[in-house]
Amino acid sequence: MTAIDANQPPPADLDGGENKARWEIYAHGHHWRNAEDEFESAKFGMWLFLSTEVLLFAGIFVGYALLRLKYPEAFINGSAYLDVKWGLTNTIVLLLSSFTVAMAVRNAQLNQQLWLKINLVITLICAAAFFCIKIFMEYIPKWTEGKRPGVLFDYPYASDPHEPLWWGLYYVGTGIHALHVIIGGGLLLWVLVRSYKGIYGPKNYAMVETSGLYWHLVDLVWIFLFPLLYLIH
Amino acid sequence: MIQSLMTTLLPAATLAEVPPLKLVDETGNMTSGFWEELFFRGGATTPVAQATDGLFMLIFWFGVFWFVLLSILWIYWVIKYRRRPGVAAEPSASHNTLLEIIWTVVPSSALIVLFLLGFWVYMDKQIAPSDAIELRVSGWKWGWKVVYPDGEESSWQLPLDEGNTYNGGAGVPVFVVPEDTPISLRMSSQDVLHSFWIPDFRTKMDLFPNRYTGYTFRTPKLLTGQDYQDHWIFCAEYCGDFHAEMAAILRIVPKGEYVRILGDEFGADLSPVDLGKKVHAQACASCHSVDGSAGTGPTWQNIYLYERKFTDNTSAIGDEDYLRESILVPGAKVVSGYPNQMASFQGLLSEKQLEGVIAYIRTLSDRYTPPPKIEGEGEEGGEDGAAEEGAEADPQTDPQTDPQTDAQTSADPVQDESETATG
Amino acid sequence: MTTIDRPADLPTHDHHDEGSYLTPRGGMWATIWQWASTVDHKKIGVMYLFAVLFMFFLGGVAALAVRMELLEPVRQISNTLADGTVETVVTGQLFTYDPENIAAGNNVYNRLFSLHGIIMTFMFIVPSIPASLGNFFLPLLLGAKDVAFPRLNLLSWYIYVVGSLFGVAAIVVGGADTGWTFYTPYSTTTDAEHWRVFFIVLAAFVLGFSSILTGLNFIVTTHKLRAPGMGWFDMPLLVWALYSTSIIQVLATPVIGVTLLLLMIERLLHIGIFDPGMGGDPLLYQHFFWFYSHPVVYVMILPGMGLISEMLAVHARKHIFGYRAIAFSSIGIAAVSFMVWGHHMFTSMGELAATLFSALTFLVAIPTAVKVFNWTATLYKGSIALNTPMLYTLGFLFTFSIGGLTGLPLGALATDLHLHDSYFVVAHFHYVMMGGTVIAFIGGIHHYWPKMFGRMYSEKWAIIGFVLVFVGFNVTFFTQFFLGTQGMPRRYATYVDEFTLLHQISTYGSWILAAGLFLHLFVFVHSLVAGRPAPPNPWGGLTLEWEAESPPIEHNFHKEPVVRHGPYEFDKVVPPHCSEEDFPLPEQAPPPPAPKVVK
Ligand code: HEA
Ligand code: HEA
Ligand code: CUA
Ligand SMILES: [Cu+2]
Repeated sequence: MTAIDANQPPPADLDGGENKARWEIYAHGHHWRNAEDEFESAKFGMWLFLSTEVLLFAGIFVGYALLRLKYPEAFINGSAYLDVKWGLTNTIVLLLSSFTVAMAVRNAQLNQQLWLKINLVITLICAAAFFCIKIFMEYIPKWTEGKRPGVLFDYPYASDPHEPLWWGLYYVGTGIHALHVIIGGGLLLWVLVRSYKGIYGPKNYAMVETSGLYWHLVDLVWIFLFPLLYLIH
Repeated sequence: MIQSLMTTLLPAATLAEVPPLKLVDETGNMTSGFWEELFFRGGATTPVAQATDGLFMLIFWFGVFWFVLLSILWIYWVIKYRRRPGVAAEPSASHNTLLEIIWTVVPSSALIVLFLLGFWVYMDKQIAPSDAIELRVSGWKWGWKVVYPDGEESSWQLPLDEGNTYNGGAGVPVFVVPEDTPISLRMSSQDVLHSFWIPDFRTKMDLFPNRYTGYTFRTPKLLTGQDYQDHWIFCAEYCGDFHAEMAAILRIVPKGEYVRILGDEFGADLSPVDLGKKVHAQACASCHSVDGSAGTGPTWQNIYLYERKFTDNTSAIGDEDYLRESILVPGAKVVSGYPNQMASFQGLLSEKQLEGVIAYIRTLSDRYTPPPKIEGEGEEGGEDGAAEEGAEADPQTDPQTDPQTDAQTSADPVQDESETATG
Repeated sequence: MTTIDRPADLPTHDHHDEGSYLTPRGGMWATIWQWASTVDHKKIGVMYLFAVLFMFFLGGVAALAVRMELLEPVRQISNTLADGTVETVVTGQLFTYDPENIAAGNNVYNRLFSLHGIIMTFMFIVPSIPASLGNFFLPLLLGAKDVAFPRLNLLSWYIYVVGSLFGVAAIVVGGADTGWTFYTPYSTTTDAEHWRVFFIVLAAFVLGFSSILTGLNFIVTTHKLRAPGMGWFDMPLLVWALYSTSIIQVLATPVIGVTLLLLMIERLLHIGIFDPGMGGDPLLYQHFFWFYSHPVVYVMILPGMGLISEMLAVHARKHIFGYRAIAFSSIGIAAVSFMVWGHHMFTSMGELAATLFSALTFLVAIPTAVKVFNWTATLYKGSIALNTPMLYTLGFLFTFSIGGLTGLPLGALATDLHLHDSYFVVAHFHYVMMGGTVIAFIGGIHHYWPKMFGRMYSEKWAIIGFVLVFVGFNVTFFTQFFLGTQGMPRRYATYVDEFTLLHQISTYGSWILAAGLFLHLFVFVHSLVAGRPAPPNPWGGLTLEWEAESPPIEHNFHKEPVVRHGPYEFDKVVPPHCSEEDFPLPEQAPPPPAPKVVK
């Protein structure tokens, strides 16, 4: 939201005739005193936003904890249904993407335009991979078997009356997380597109960094979800 | 554990000091002033309710004190220091640490006392004495049902007294409780949340579909010459269209009357033997055992068709006539070894109950040959409630009968302890 | 008192030639487009102001209907006619389309008070002061050109609009009968075949994002955009208030977000998390809901308190007493407010939890008390002008104190078991919300009106309006305390005869109140069309917003202001744009400047 001023064509006085890259003639927002303030604020704002995201998921985790306390069997059966293989793959995929996005930020700082794009692309591929695995390897098979949330549940071999509840939590938790994957992916895609305009560079990489931060959060949440849902027996 | 802690923190005396504890004299009239009248109409008639009012008035006057104090300053200073053109405000201090400390510490300490008192009276509403009669309350959209300890259910619909047009003048259910007795409620809902509020007793608790909640209160003594006393019960947790009409009346009657009503009116569907068993539990068990063990009075085991020896050295066979006589005129034949102290139940037991008791005593004798058994006992955990719901598609079911919900409430002690109110 | 030299790195381009932010540029459509697409915090603030006042109007009309219904208990009289047929008449029911059927009428009533509560909380009072006056004045108070993220600001405005539209749409198709608390399992089962409840919950959910983004924006602004020379303890108290408010918004709103999300999913899929029938737990919902909804009551009141501090200091021409105490108590309230949510659930939770929450509840009363005491001390030796803002400030002290003090019997366990969900609670929260926040809000609008629109309002009529509001309000709600203690439950469409008289008094009061508010509305409209132009600093305020023009220019200040004195040093500084004879200083030199602690 902050680097957008770089969209405007360079004011004549800044671009002394010879054509510089967009990031070089980047002018900070008019209401800021200087670019550092603007950049730090952007990061500060993003951190605040991430804290709200964490609290949002905290709500789900609390619900999970309490209901698990109430119906241990249902939850143990539930996680037994899940396929650790795919869960693990997704974890690795996300960790990798977190790494590449961190690299991307670095590339922007060092003005390695090519690598910036490459790393972003890898990250996006990971996001897509994660998403496809979720849908095709996890959701669809389970859904067709009847392992569905709440009233939709009709899995004949359920051994505990409260398994529908477990599935409810499973779909809600992973679903909301998947939603964040989409949002994060969207952000990064936007960054990628704009990086082709040479907007990001040492003088202007706030957008790369903030959307990178967001992506780390997506990763972090999964790091919590994965053991809670798949591992604890 | 908290209570013991509190007892150390706060000697029982403190409660007595809550002014004005006694809002009502023995005739039930307010002894208290204007504000109490405004706040609590007729006033409280049970100790706990009076303590509640006392605490309320204490907090009220506490608030009034600060409010008046501040108001005076506001008004006085606004007038004294109103702006005069061309005149500057005299310079004055812009802060004073000592003041800040004082007006932080003083209220804080006062508030601690208020909290402790609140907790103290609260506990009296939550912890039921061991001898309390436990009523099981269940609520549904939209009605109440009370199940008595032995499974009777109130069957009374009472048309409201003349001129009261509440609920379009239609009747409300009436629940009968004996006077001057501790009552404890064990409550659960059949659908959404409700709340069982008895304003006159100054307490309420919410009803949940998946757990038991409850509270306790002691019914007041009837005033001299009063043969019953009615108290409103309101549903205080929003529950839909008839939330406002989900009322009932708690009727306080003399103890004997209570026994009679339970037997005759509410227990109508019981077999004589079960009726007798219940009357025994309510009226006789304190003296007469049924298992041969000794008590204040003779055990009921093996009386029927056995020979009885009396203090006047006569003896008789314990047949129906003997039993009836012993109940109505206890002094006539006093079993040897026992004092003649049993009071007559003439008029306290209905004919039906008398029959029931005798029938019951008979079954306790091994010389008794049972007739074909009669079905009847057993409470349906508020099926009519479910029926009331009609089309209302609600997955909820009655905790008493639903294994699943039962499982929940018992399955998990942690939660029971932490989230179920005493009941 | 801070004095600093202008740092070298400050941009020195000025905004001399600019006109007021209100002056239209281009034709009508161009102007409309400029407003719709503006990132100027002032324009956004003004748009918010009108939006929330409109919502207040809607909610208020619903409230009047609620009071109308309660004017009489519902009576169902059946009398036999000459020809022997029995006719049933229902009297005292405002909404009767089926005389045989009280439920039909009750249902309308239930939708009305739910609608009233939902509009008033989610669409009016939460955004009210921060989003309107806060948006407009936070940057001005800080001497900044705009909030940290202007585009984000515009975004949260549109989210607010979308959310409100959802809400209004849901109302148009019949509204919800859940109450504003959406307690499960009722809220997940009622109107099962309709989408209304879903949409209303969705509305509240969406509105949550708006307030998160605003709060986030304000926090960063306060941290990063203070004018040179303005340390944390040179900030006006309104800024402190908005800052603590924002913290609560950012920390609490996500929880209601996930709660409402789960509620919506629950309604759609019945996944059962809150549904006892499937092993879920309604109590869990209540915990989630109040974990947000208690802190949010301080989101409602803190900005009001901030306005009070400003108005009190300016109109009493007096250094606010105990600046730090007030500033810290704002933070204190924000902190403690997260630990008392259980006091809404005393009648449904176990002894241990209840005891804990009761104790903490009394704790939360302290910082507020400290504020009130400091405000009182501020009046001492002031030079107090009894104009509308000041009258509303004093009105606030009265009504809010009553509201707050009646929170104490609610916080005490034994008494709350009696008072919970009775009209005592209704009276309590109207005294704090209407009598606290709204009173402060109306006062604040008057205080800042000249600055926002560059025109004065009619003092005479405004004062008459105040008297009506003050009297009407107290008549309406003071009676409800007695209703409550006497046993009148809330959310009742009909009631037992005993309560008729008190209910009637309350209803009459609501009419006086309404009259007053409408009068204010007309005063404002009149001022817009015919008010005389306002000077830049009509009240002689010392904070930075009064250095700007009235109305301010596009970029607020001609030159970036530099803070050279504390916000309340009325005894040392002649206010900007003001002359010494209008606002004289004390003759003898003030006592040697106290340590910088003092503000
Ligand atoms: C602006 C909103 C606002 C504010 C500021 C408050 C402030 C307080 N509230 Fe209130 N409250 C609500 C809005 C608010 N409340 C709402 C909306 C509900 C109902 C929700 C629903 O169920 O629909 C509610 C309900 C509510 C309950 C639950 C009642 C029930 O349902 O059973 C309780 C219980 O503890 C409570 C307590 C308090 C307390 C102790 C304060 C304290 O913060 C008050 C502190 C202020 C003072 C103490 C007065 C000023 C100080 C002085 C005059 C100095 C002298 C004072 C002392 C020495 C103590 N409130
Ligand atoms: C900000 C919060 C707020 C405000 C301001 C009000 C204002 C009013 N409220 Fe209410 N109220 C609630 C929040 C609020 N309320 C909530 C949360 C509930 C609980 C709902 C539930 O149980 O779920 C409730 C419930 C509630 C009840 C209880 C219903 C019940 O339990 O059965 C009643 C009954 O009397 C009531 C009455 C009123 C009245 C008469 C006003 C009056 O003050 C209204 C006055 C306003 C007007 C008459 C409109 C005029 C306005 C303009 C003309 C706009 C222009 C104004 C200016 C320019 C200044 N409200
Ligand atoms: Cu039952 Cu309200
Ligand atoms: Cu609260």
